[in-house]
Amino acid sequence: MIGAAPEIGRNARQPRLLARIVARPSGAVGLALVILHVGVALLAPFLVPHDFAAQNADAILLPPSTRYWFGTDMLGRDVFTRTLLGGREAMLICTIATALAVFWGGIVGILVALVGGWIDNAVMRCADALMSMPWILFVMIFVAALGTGTATLIPILSVSYGLSVVYLARSAALEFVTRDFVLAAQARGESRRTIIFRELLPNVRDSLAVQGAMQWSWMILGVSSLSYLGMGVPPPNPDWGLMVADARSIMSAAPWTAIFPMLALSSLIIGANLAVDATAKALGIDRNARGQG
Amino acid sequence: MNFARRKLNIGRMAGALALLTAAWSQPALADKVLRMAHDLSMGGSESLDPLSPVRFWEVNDLLYSRLIRLTEAGEMEPELALSWEPNADATEWTIRLRDGVKFHDGSAVDAEDVKFSLERINDPALESPVTSVLGMIQSVEVIDPLTARVVLSTKHAGLPILLTDYRVRIIPSGSGDTIASSGIGSGPFKLDEYDPEGTTRLVANPDYWEGAPKLDSIEYVAIPDADARIQALLGGQLDFSRIAPEQEPLFAGRSDFVLSEFPAGGWFGLVFRTDTEPFTDPRVRKAVRVAVNREEMAKLMTGEGHATVTCDNPVKANDPYRADIVCPQDIDLARKLLAEAGYPDGISFDLHTSNLETGMVRFAEVYQQQVAPAGIKVNIVMAPSDGYWDDVWMKETVVVTSWDERPADQILNEAYRSGSSWNESYFSNPEFDALLDKARASLDFAEARQAMVDAQVMLFEAGGTLIPYQQNIQFAYKKSLDGIRPVIEDQMRWHLVDKTEE
Repeated sequence: MIGAAPEIGRNARQPRLLARIVARPSGAVGLALVILHVGVALLAPFLVPHDFAAQNADAILLPPSTRYWFGTDMLGRDVFTRTLLGGREAMLICTIATALAVFWGGIVGILVALVGGWIDNAVMRCADALMSMPWILFVMIFVAALGTGTATLIPILSVSYGLSVVYLARSAALEFVTRDFVLAAQARGESRRTIIFRELLPNVRDSLAVQGAMQWSWMILGVSSLSYLGMGVPPPNPDWGLMVADARSIMSAAPWTAIFPMLALSSLIIGANLAVDATAKALGIDRNARGQG
Repeated sequence: MNFARRKLNIGRMAGALALLTAAWSQPALADKVLRMAHDLSMGGSESLDPLSPVRFWEVNDLLYSRLIRLTEAGEMEPELALSWEPNADATEWTIRLRDGVKFHDGSAVDAEDVKFSLERINDPALESPVTSVLGMIQSVEVIDPLTARVVLSTKHAGLPILLTDYRVRIIPSGSGDTIASSGIGSGPFKLDEYDPEGTTRLVANPDYWEGAPKLDSIEYVAIPDADARIQALLGGQLDFSRIAPEQEPLFAGRSDFVLSEFPAGGWFGLVFRTDTEPFTDPRVRKAVRVAVNREEMAKLMTGEGHATVTCDNPVKANDPYRADIVCPQDIDLARKLLAEAGYPDGISFDLHTSNLETGMVRFAEVYQQQVAPAGIKVNIVMAPSDGYWDDVWMKETVVVTSWDERPADQILNEAYRSGSSWNESYFSNPEFDALLDKARASLDFAEARQAMVDAQVMLFEAGGTLIPYQQNIQFAYKKSLDGIRPVIEDQMRWHLVDKTEE
């Protein structure tokens, strides 16, 4: 057996995955929401009726109207425009950071599962120590030290979110490291790299994909929280977290400044969660069985 | 009054936390307790030493008396001093003290205490920011128990107005080492419990020289977050707070609150460090200021009628020493100045701000938008609010700043004289310093005014601080409070404030 490792459970994938996801109402709704959000994020620059940064001293805190569908904010900017654009930066940051987190977390998790012994122990105890810190504190320490901005957020997020991927990849890979095909590969004298990439990775790929999608939605919420706290996307970029933070002091008098970005953020996160759940079920992965993040 | 709101708050989350931890029990009905909040701007090191750089100004105002204070109309009136007379060339001032005033520990306030309190200002160990204001006090002689003579190192006709500084308080002679925790003064309230991170409690001083306070006690709760303070006020946990213009609508339909507003000289500003490229060039400094549409900025930030447009002039509108400067937005001039300074393609810089005070981030956003057409590219950097005044202000090249009003002589010396400890733009100009000296030494008002006006014009031409407008102060307080006047907090007569049944 020279070719790729058998992909256990791959057959279940065959009748088209997408059809199986949307067969569940929750999956259909979730996927629709995610597609809507991604579509809006991609097309928003061509859709928005106003300049997102244009300030207007004569249009401060106007309620929703035909001219300003979602009203205006404290600087007279159009809330509709800013809501449409408000997810772009967070989604971009989270997409890149998720890819990095899944990549390094997956490799490290599989590697320690394969190597075992004291290295496995040492790495996992370090991960335990880091995971014991509340997420927001962990990120805040780095943001406070390194400053905010896309260039610092992406590595910080990929490191902090990658930790839970390490656990998942390790436990998923542990199921396979004692299987015959891995032992056979070792007996053949295959390099560790080959075993990881050719034998183990294909088998944990689905779990990692589901975990990654989940991470992505958590990360969106995380970036919005950071922006809300003033540590995420810098102004004047429209960002939902930042918009809610700005609106905070006048929320009860001008609710439209907060409600629309909140709705946008929550619908994206709910949609992503529903879609991921449906995907996991369609793939036959029981997400609750693994200690996830 | 005259304090810069130096805030080190511990982030937005902390506001909510503070609210939770501040959920104290209701006092007994019979007690008239006034509850207010402070912003924990010194991160818990708030000091009861009035001269400390981390002074707990709200509480110190209640604990200690000054020699001279300002009336609502801004005129000087006797507090502990009954009279103040200069010698012929204003190098010595003789101060007569009020008789029969007692400190909280029962001892009498006399000339020894005045000598101790004023000479302390220039104790280098204290590192007091007041040194830049009253550094000319050479010594104080005790003539008799109720008469002191202040000897100056230079002529100064304006000494009395400087003695109204909110930090220049009279404390018992020899109490320098204990004052930071004892809080013994001669003010209307006495210290009961000092807990800057929790609730600091003051009780009425029945022996106060102006008469016993009408309230039984005042509590100051630490709530670092501006919005959390407003929520605490709306929720009935506080009785009194400053508010921002955009928060006015939150009180619509709340007949249990009173709003008041009065012109004041405080501002949000931008500081460009004059010792750092490219702002070492006065042309660049002027360009980044004339590119601003101040009228529009004031309207965007405060709405209609809540601010007075200002041309980078720290002296407030109704101060007799204020210079009249006109400064319409001039994008062409900004471009020209930048080109002359060697930046034909414009400049780009990081502007540091924080969620420390309501509007500080918006202020940066408005600036960023307004100056863009002049080729000035501003990158807003959000700094953590915790430690902002320690780690960002006076450290980073361009920052948002926030000051409350001060008399002309005080603010010009404190914020712009070479080497002064709160000279935030590191402005250093011997001609400017000489004008300030001239104003101080002049015994003729017109001459002193001219020197101050020239100094202010110099700031507009070459300074490193943008002051686009000065903002009114707005209070919101419970209707059950009586005696709240439209004056900045340290001019308030707190012993006359009363609380009726709600």
